[in-house]
Amino acid sequence: MHDRQFMKETLFAGAQAFKAGRMDRRSFLILCGMAGFASQAVLAGKAEAAADQVIMWNWGGQSEVCHGSAIGEPFTAATGIGVGFDTSGPLQGKIREMVDSGAVTADVCDGDLFDAVALGQTGHLEPIDYTIVRADRTVDGYALEHGIAVILYGYAFVYDTEVYGDNPPNSWADFFDTERFPGRRSLYRWANGAIEAALIADGVPRDQLYPLDLPRAMARIAAIKDDTIYWSSGSEAHSMVVNGEVSMGMVWQNRGRSMEEDTDGRYKLVMNEAFAYPGGYIVPRGNPAGRENAMRFIATAQEVGPQLAIFQCLGMTPANPEAFDQVPEADQAYAISSAVNIDNVIFNDPTWWGNNIDEAVNLYLETIS
Amino acid sequence: MQTLRRLNLHPGWWLVLPFLLVVMGMFLGPILNILWLSVTLPEPGLDNYAALFESEPLRRMLWTTLRICLITTVMSVILGYSIAYAMMHASGANRNWMISLLLVTFWISVLVRTFSWLMLLGRNGPVNNALMGAGLVSEPVEFMRNELGVLIGMVHYMIPYAVLPILASMQNIDNRVIAASRNLGAGGAQTFWRIYLPLTRPGIVAGAILVFILSLGFFVTPAILGGGRVLMVAEYISVQVLITLRWGTAAMLAVLLLGGVLALMFILSRLIPLSQVFGGARR
Amino acid sequence: MSADSAQSGGLAITGLVKRYGTVEAVAGIDLEIQRGEFLTLLGPSGSGKTTLLMMIAGFQDATAGDILLDGRSIVATPAEKRNFGMVFQGYALFPHMSVRDNIGYALSVRKRPRREIAGRVEEMIDLVQLQGMEDRLPAQLSGGQQQRVALARALAFAPPVLLLDEPLGALDRKLRIEVQAQLKDLHERVGTTFIYVTHDQEEALSMSDRVVIMQSGRIEQVGTPQELYSRPRTRFAATFLGKSNFLHRDGRVWALRPEKIDLHVGSSGDDRTTGKILSQTYFGSVLNYRVETTEFGVLEVDVDAWRGGAALRPGTVVSIGWHDEAVVPLED
Repeated sequence: MHDRQFMKETLFAGAQAFKAGRMDRRSFLILCGMAGFASQAVLAGKAEAAADQVIMWNWGGQSEVCHGSAIGEPFTAATGIGVGFDTSGPLQGKIREMVDSGAVTADVCDGDLFDAVALGQTGHLEPIDYTIVRADRTVDGYALEHGIAVILYGYAFVYDTEVYGDNPPNSWADFFDTERFPGRRSLYRWANGAIEAALIADGVPRDQLYPLDLPRAMARIAAIKDDTIYWSSGSEAHSMVVNGEVSMGMVWQNRGRSMEEDTDGRYKLVMNEAFAYPGGYIVPRGNPAGRENAMRFIATAQEVGPQLAIFQCLGMTPANPEAFDQVPEADQAYAISSAVNIDNVIFNDPTWWGNNIDEAVNLYLETIS
Repeated sequence: MQTLRRLNLHPGWWLVLPFLLVVMGMFLGPILNILWLSVTLPEPGLDNYAALFESEPLRRMLWTTLRICLITTVMSVILGYSIAYAMMHASGANRNWMISLLLVTFWISVLVRTFSWLMLLGRNGPVNNALMGAGLVSEPVEFMRNELGVLIGMVHYMIPYAVLPILASMQNIDNRVIAASRNLGAGGAQTFWRIYLPLTRPGIVAGAILVFILSLGFFVTPAILGGGRVLMVAEYISVQVLITLRWGTAAMLAVLLLGGVLALMFILSRLIPLSQVFGGARR
Repeated sequence: MSADSAQSGGLAITGLVKRYGTVEAVAGIDLEIQRGEFLTLLGPSGSGKTTLLMMIAGFQDATAGDILLDGRSIVATPAEKRNFGMVFQGYALFPHMSVRDNIGYALSVRKRPRREIAGRVEEMIDLVQLQGMEDRLPAQLSGGQQQRVALARALAFAPPVLLLDEPLGALDRKLRIEVQAQLKDLHERVGTTFIYVTHDQEEALSMSDRVVIMQSGRIEQVGTPQELYSRPRTRFAATFLGKSNFLHRDGRVWALRPEKIDLHVGSSGDDRTTGKILSQTYFGSVLNYRVETTEFGVLEVDVDAWRGGAALRPGTVVSIGWHDEAVVPLED
């Protein structure tokens, strides 16, 4: 990959010179031409685009369309700056590698807020500029130095109404009780949500959840290991449910609705004790469009219009309190921050996860494998 | 030039030298970098390697990887050998069909295949429904979401990689040698074990090496078909790089993998000339 | 040299046919092969000689007809049960086995005791003079050595019949002549029936007891080399085995070998005609002239080179004569 990295570096250096007026268009294109290998045209296009675009790094699929219409359009209308997408998924390791290599190609990452804690400490992120981004337009405690929660997503569960018809499960304690509720379960494979659920099931009071007691959680998870399978992606979680592989499945709350629909209501979403995870927008250090443009993009995403649009498009719940009560009546059951759910959900502590993710994930993997 | 002549270097080498250097740089550079990371992250020393001896889960993960890769290799080679043998003995038109079908599988993405297996052999899949309908089993057979599922998916993926080198070595066999064996009084089974099988050994070894090394790098299929409970080294490395950011551990495992593969090749090169295995000069 | 081969090895082939679709590769062959005989199947490629050999070996099924070994039909016996030795074109040695294991293979698959195999292998090594090569792989041997291993391997189990499919084709000319003598010698010593396929007339003439000339899946003529050479029955036989002039006389065709023509300057009483030399070619032992005659067209004449003195120049007018028994009437 180093050769491609080198090409990118050269081109982006050129792109910046071109943008700053130190290089004319012709020389820039010649430089692109000299880069000369198969993907040169693509890269050149991207490199040139990088000079007057904000690149959002997200997870592909629907999110490219949704982020484009919900945030990109109002952002471009207000600033005249275009929006492009990298859909390869901004995992912590990838962001770190990108910044370390000096070839930063993304401006705003659709990450987790705990990424902002982990990568902020190691100097891989631009600090959030709270003169542009509004700290009051997110949940209390979710406006951090290097990232801010723009949306909320949750870990909830669905259950098979035909299996547990008369006595449906309604809590994580039920979920982890394979005697009273026999049947196979599914949990998230990368530990988030699953550890919290195990501890709540084990009787840890919700206000004393963090710091997470890992050994205690692992014991609870190991206890139902033989009845559990684990998913790594939303579509996998979906297929486990709609194919009837599991009787109870931990899911991302925004996926729960489509599972209900795809099984004609056979599976039902339980939002009680759902864990609200802050989806953090973070900016890699030295982002090509400049810190200010990235901040303006985040500020746009915080506005009520875009917040509701993302909810409609992706099912991700608004993080801006101004939008909480504007979620349509019919959709309130599926929104984390709506009046019917907000008192039952448990808010995630991104600082704990940011500091402990390596240990938590490795312990969890060791427990389930 | 005087020393040059003494080096007995063909002048053609000077033409390829710049490219050779670039390739060496691009290839060896990152490898050395990985080696370096494995003894410097998070702090200088051999701690990452010590973990191999101290961490039971790490050893368990490596053992799982080795076990699955070995079983996959053996199964793929046995099945691949049978398929290649059938191809060799099919009529021309049928053989072309079989080869086309084999190659088509190369174009189907791993994900599609993986989910197809889930559909086919899942709890509510047609196979389990048929078995239960026929009264052969009372509970669905757990083909998927366990190690068996991983093996089914991996063997299916690897078979073409075993078939092709084996087929090539079968095509290299002089039919007269087989005829000679029969002429000398050996029946079909004797001819197979004493002549045919030994002559296809280079193909078997090449197929086995290919399958084993590819298996080591596999993780999409194990993760999904194993129901998330089968953790293999490639996936573990990717987790350490992307999620937990324990790059030192990841680098150590990468070095271990590379060293393991090189050691394997070295041992094999003692047992059988590798030029034969990789299609060099024929005897 | 073995009791078996002395007692059996007589083959009778009757009405043998091999058809591929509509093509007849072998189109009805009747042939008796005597025990201990050296019989050569001679013909151009496509004449059916190899197919015939493969049918005798059991690698090809007969479409019709029968093959009898010492009076018993073997046409339905699989190749591995026929007990015929065979030397393949290119030898087909087992590349992964040593010379010793190649030679011992037939006995080893017959589950003979280890000591018997070792003794027999040693015997065969002596027979083909490969002492010291026992542990080599075929790839480490010269072409001639490989050929000898192939022979030893095929003879190791004392087969009643040895089939040889162009076994000298891969050798250079000098070696070929040497090996011809060795083969003939070997045949005399082991007493096995040899059935030898070749397209080389020289090999056929020098080694065989009898030669079968084949063309288009049929037998053109069978006989000793002398019979075939001196009394060819067809035009094909006359040209495929040696060279021949063809004379048209009395409404038939006659064959006349070039060396049986007497050629001299000036005339004598026996002259049949006169002619003018068109060209001359020197072959070492013979001088070949092409002579244009008025009566018989262009004739080829071979003259012993040592006898003729200086070569005659093209344009020289010469007299030509031959004995009556030199011309042979042909069937077509």
